[in-house]
Amino acid sequence: MTQQINWKETLADGGQKAYIAEVKKRDALVGSFLEFDPPRGKMARPQAEVQTTEELAGIPFAIKDNIALRNFKLTCGSKMLAHFVSPYSATAVEKILAAGGIPVGKTNMDEFGMGSSTDTSALGTTSNPWDLTKVAGGSSGGSAAAVAAGLVPFALGTDTGGSVRQPANFCGVYGLKPTYGAVSRYGLVAYASSLETIGVVAREIPYLEKVFNTIRDQDEKDNTTADWRDFSDPKEGEVTKIGVLTGSLGLDPGVAEAYAQVRQELLALGYEIVEMQLPMLDYAVPAYYTIATAEASANLARFNGIRYGHRPVYSENPEELVQKSRDEGFGAEVKLRILLGTYVLRSGFQDQFYLRAQKIRTALVRDFDKVFSQVDGFLLPVFPTQAFSHGDGGLDPFQQKVADKFTTTANLTGLPALAIPTGVSGGLPTGVQFMAPAFCEDRLFGLARRLKSNLTLGEPPEFPALYAGQEGRS
Amino acid sequence: MDIAELYTTAELAQIKLEDSEVESLGGEVSQMVAYFKKMMEVSVDALEPTTHAFIKKNRLRPDTFHPSTLADDILEQSPDLEDRFICIPNVL
Amino acid sequence: MRYPTKYDSFVGLEIHVQLTTESKIFCGCRNRFGDEPNTNVCPVCMGLPGSLPSLNQEAMSKAYLVAKALHCDLADTCLFERKNYFYPDLPKNYQISQFAKPLGTNGWIDIVVDGVTKRVRIHECHLEEDAGKMIHAGDMSLVDYNRTGTPLLEIVTEPDLNLGEEAEILIHELRRIVRYLGVSDGNMDEGSMRCDANVSVNTKGAGLGRKVEVKNLNSSRFVRLSLNYEIDRQTEILEDGGTVVQETRLWNENRDQTIVMRSKENANDYRYFPEPDLPPFRTTPEFLADLETRIVELPLDRRVRLVSTLGISQTQAEVIGEEKANADYFEKVLEYGADGPTVATWMTGDVQKLLNRTGQSAAESPLTPERFAELLTLMAEGKIHGKIAKTILELVFEKNKNPRVIMAEQGLEQMNDSGELAKLVSQVLVDNPVAVEQIKAGDTKPMGFLMGQVMKASGGRAEPGMVQKMLKEHLG
Repeated sequence: MTQQINWKETLADGGQKAYIAEVKKRDALVGSFLEFDPPRGKMARPQAEVQTTEELAGIPFAIKDNIALRNFKLTCGSKMLAHFVSPYSATAVEKILAAGGIPVGKTNMDEFGMGSSTDTSALGTTSNPWDLTKVAGGSSGGSAAAVAAGLVPFALGTDTGGSVRQPANFCGVYGLKPTYGAVSRYGLVAYASSLETIGVVAREIPYLEKVFNTIRDQDEKDNTTADWRDFSDPKEGEVTKIGVLTGSLGLDPGVAEAYAQVRQELLALGYEIVEMQLPMLDYAVPAYYTIATAEASANLARFNGIRYGHRPVYSENPEELVQKSRDEGFGAEVKLRILLGTYVLRSGFQDQFYLRAQKIRTALVRDFDKVFSQVDGFLLPVFPTQAFSHGDGGLDPFQQKVADKFTTTANLTGLPALAIPTGVSGGLPTGVQFMAPAFCEDRLFGLARRLKSNLTLGEPPEFPALYAGQEGRS
Repeated sequence: MDIAELYTTAELAQIKLEDSEVESLGGEVSQMVAYFKKMMEVSVDALEPTTHAFIKKNRLRPDTFHPSTLADDILEQSPDLEDRFICIPNVL
Repeated sequence: MRYPTKYDSFVGLEIHVQLTTESKIFCGCRNRFGDEPNTNVCPVCMGLPGSLPSLNQEAMSKAYLVAKALHCDLADTCLFERKNYFYPDLPKNYQISQFAKPLGTNGWIDIVVDGVTKRVRIHECHLEEDAGKMIHAGDMSLVDYNRTGTPLLEIVTEPDLNLGEEAEILIHELRRIVRYLGVSDGNMDEGSMRCDANVSVNTKGAGLGRKVEVKNLNSSRFVRLSLNYEIDRQTEILEDGGTVVQETRLWNENRDQTIVMRSKENANDYRYFPEPDLPPFRTTPEFLADLETRIVELPLDRRVRLVSTLGISQTQAEVIGEEKANADYFEKVLEYGADGPTVATWMTGDVQKLLNRTGQSAAESPLTPERFAELLTLMAEGKIHGKIAKTILELVFEKNKNPRVIMAEQGLEQMNDSGELAKLVSQVLVDNPVAVEQIKAGDTKPMGFLMGQVMKASGGRAEPGMVQKMLKEHLG
């Protein structure tokens, strides 16, 4: 039996120094952190107060830089907020702190969560620990890379259209997008409020589960949260029948191969497989981008350089101040999405775009009602490709958006989804995702656990586990 | 999308379009808008829009006030302060 | 109006009422006027990244209560939406408001204009958040966000008003209503009630004309003046064969006229869409039952009732009914058996004078309704007369004691023992022979003088009727 890592002891005194040095060495290559400062993280709560009985006692974790941690920056990967220090912490973060977790820093991301590569960050480049010429995915690329490179056992990310699952998939780790409303969004810098949730990236399933159970709760500060206890799973996490998305999915060979393999393993494990199609799938991405950009255009209006954020050196009047602040503070992808979102809400265009998208969303919800009236879980790909290259060698921004079709369904419907690593192909991780009915995350953990015993996952050759022993086994 | 629509949209969004951006941003916006038009293929007449994921009980907060302990920390983030006021150039 | 027979004028109002709550509408910051700038602020009302709104129950209740008092259809589901526009005093650069599904629609309010009741339709009531405040100082503007997030109820009337005077009366009536309901202080000076108006003028019988919006009306007087100015201005344009420009104008209080507000192109596409951070609100039986317990008789109904069932004058009813606490006090005095018109006379006269002097409200003064009634009872029983009653009233305020106790302690009870009075009268007649002679000679003028002398000798306590009778007997 392997020894479980005792993080509290590992990080005591000298251990912490060694840990910091090793993380810094590794991250010089990966670039997952925008801010790395474990001593300050501990200031969030005196170490003496940490009880070893707590679920996450002494365990270091990373936070995507669009989730607030008091006294740390909250940049969202944007020049707009490059110097903004958060005076408060997100509810989900508070809950992990209360469970004994130690925040060590903030991770890089696509600017305001807008991207699938982390390359739209204005503040740094993050690379894939499996192959540094490849992207880590996005927008939670920093969190996924930090976990994959062994820098932390788990990290918080956010998933608006796949932003936890796709980078987890690119980096060969688990990525959970919980049910909308299960985890408080208070302290998550809004991109598309009705679609996004805080999610968890981890290398081991027990961490995923522990962290999710720690952060899920109804929150007085977030009126869109629900009490998960009101939505008990009639099957108590049991899965026997699995729907598998079929049809012309347009997957790259490595991805298609992994997808077929998982299907075989599920059969081998005794699950009943039902082939299924989603009539609305082709409309998910346009509907998603219509809604997401519409909400973003309002959510990002608050950044005007007046109360905080980037302020131009000189401006003659308030209008110029605001326009210059936004012109200089936002990157091209953010401007594009704000313009799109403004356009689809304009009078004369709103019915044609925004309203229609919300109706397609209803149709997609019905698709899934039908799916889950027949099966207990649903298997689909995460992304059509494996991790792609930085820069022009990779997918262009439009192709990246179209490729979100498998992930955006969970965001449009609010359903939980889990990206699962399935192995390595051509030196890069492969994976799939499962979806479940609302508040049935337990089914996803169960599926992941059963599958894992039949798969060989491996770890990035250059970044083996930081410490010997297993993580998160209890 | 024609240039005039692009400028109107940018004005509403308070985004100043540099001449150098008009071509690239304008092209990308048009590409996406064209892509959005794919939604026209679906008949949605019988459908209600979904604006909130799982609509539940009313959420209301009791009317009690909490001392504003973060006011000073928040003001510290402002680029230009005068006493406790936040300063901007005059609105004319 | 300049050409009353040729034109119709139409005025509609948009009135914003700040609701009095402990905390703001979407956060726990204190909802209070007049604090140091930027002290009642938090991540939510300052629009910090990552913050979310959390709806205040009391703001919702008070908003529905006003809608109910204005006879609106109450929405069983209402929805908040984002109204998108950039302004430095609006932290998120969108205002959380209501648009497609406001909480109240299709109501009315009655006002009395020159003694005639006029019904003005209410288009809708909706709840939203207030913005901050800017102070302009030279080449700088200073922004204070204390006011952001104050619950604000917007009440929109149909264009059923015709003159500035009617608008002013409506504002006063609405102020009474919100004060009666205890949901706002309705104070226009401090901005807790604010008003915008729209005005149009058209040829008689031709319906609404081109609408001009008038803003910056921060007193009911400015509402009246500006609307009448606008009606005249538009009438004159039509009279000269011109066309009114649809625009927004500001009232300039220094020049007593409206001036065109600088308008921006594209300014008015607010791109409303449902607020994703707040689920729709649905009324529940408990919520509606709570409203029933909080609704009160409206001020106009009360004034009408006071006049029609208690026989007090219109003017008295207006004074007494202005504030609910006063009207309640008045009716409380009546519960002790006092007579309406008498109480009203005292309340609007001597009692009011004393209250003005001490700066108290009737309810908080030493003159409890019971004491008030007791004072009137002492008069009715003939124990004191009016002048002594006034003395006792002042002593009630001074000593905080019951009128009967004061009467006894000060020996103020009326003298009506005929033997004692006869002695006093005789002595006065003896002491004033000249006056007596004059009267006997047919000049009745000194009668009053003698009367006064007797009252003086009794310390004001002699029962005046008896004294008069005795004097007449002696000198008749």
